Amino acid sequence: MLADALLRSMTGTTALLRVTGTNTDTNMSELGLVATTFADVVVSPVVMRKLRPSWQEGGQSKWELFVSATGVQQQVSALDLVSAQALFAMTLTVTVGGQDYLIESIASNEAFGQVYLYRLLLREARQQAV
Amino acid sequence: MQNAKDSFYMALRSRLTTINPERTILLRGAVRPGIVVEEAEAPFNQLPNDVYVLRWLGVGVDVDLASTMAAEQCEILYQTCGTRSFGGLDRGRLMSQMDEEVTTMLQPFHTPKLNFTATPPAAMLTQVFWDEPAFGPLAIQRDRLSRSASVMVYSYQEQGE
Repeated sequence: MLADALLRSMTGTTALLRVTGTNTDTNMSELGLVATTFADVVVSPVVMRKLRPSWQEGGQSKWELFVSATGVQQQVSALDLVSAQALFAMTLTVTVGGQDYLIESIASNEAFGQVYLYRLLLREARQQAV
Repeated sequence: MQNAKDSFYMALRSRLTTINPERTILLRGAVRPGIVVEEAEAPFNQLPNDVYVLRWLGVGVDVDLASTMAAEQCEILYQTCGTRSFGGLDRGRLMSQMDEEVTTMLQPFHTPKLNFTATPPAAMLTQVFWDEPAFGPLAIQRDRLSRSASVMVYSYQEQGE
């Protein structure tokens, strides 16, 4: 709760996790022929910060997204998942402020054995064809 | 070439279910045989362990034939950290098992070419065929062993492809 209040006080916003659904036609979906069904899962509050830039030719910016554990837990319960890791494993992209990002790695902060914050290391997704 | 790539993957996938039905992966909410096409999945930040990842690389075309022949290089990537019950000490054995599975999966070195855009998949006139695999050296990254096997996959271009 304290983490939520801190995130909100730091212009906490919302993030959309684009998660995949189960596709019954496995052959077609495994070959990239049929788009899997997607759902957007809203988590909040979140705060985003750009990591220290280290410019590389063709390199993309990296960002860190702080996500409230309570916000994640609500969605884990709503989707009937076993854990937050399962939710992040299903996530294709994270959308914040209309920009898509790909998850590079996930870490969490704990206090008294309870996770209060997830830290997602994100990379900007490249523009996809319409 | 896409039909050849699809047919190659589906052949390996069905062979794997016979060779080792226990080798599966939970991906996009579904349990599937433990072989995936990298370009047809969400980008991996780290390749999954104990499954085969097909990565398509170079392409070549020979037009000095009665039918145009296309070739595409497929890299089969796999890695393991061993099992938890053995504390990872069996990772060498698991890697050997995966090497053998790759060799077995690739035999016979051909499969009918199918068009998977049709439902059910439509059989085409020619076959997809490939070379023997060229295994790369074992890469050791602390507790993880990884290897890639490279295969050249050939097919004749049919009308409409």
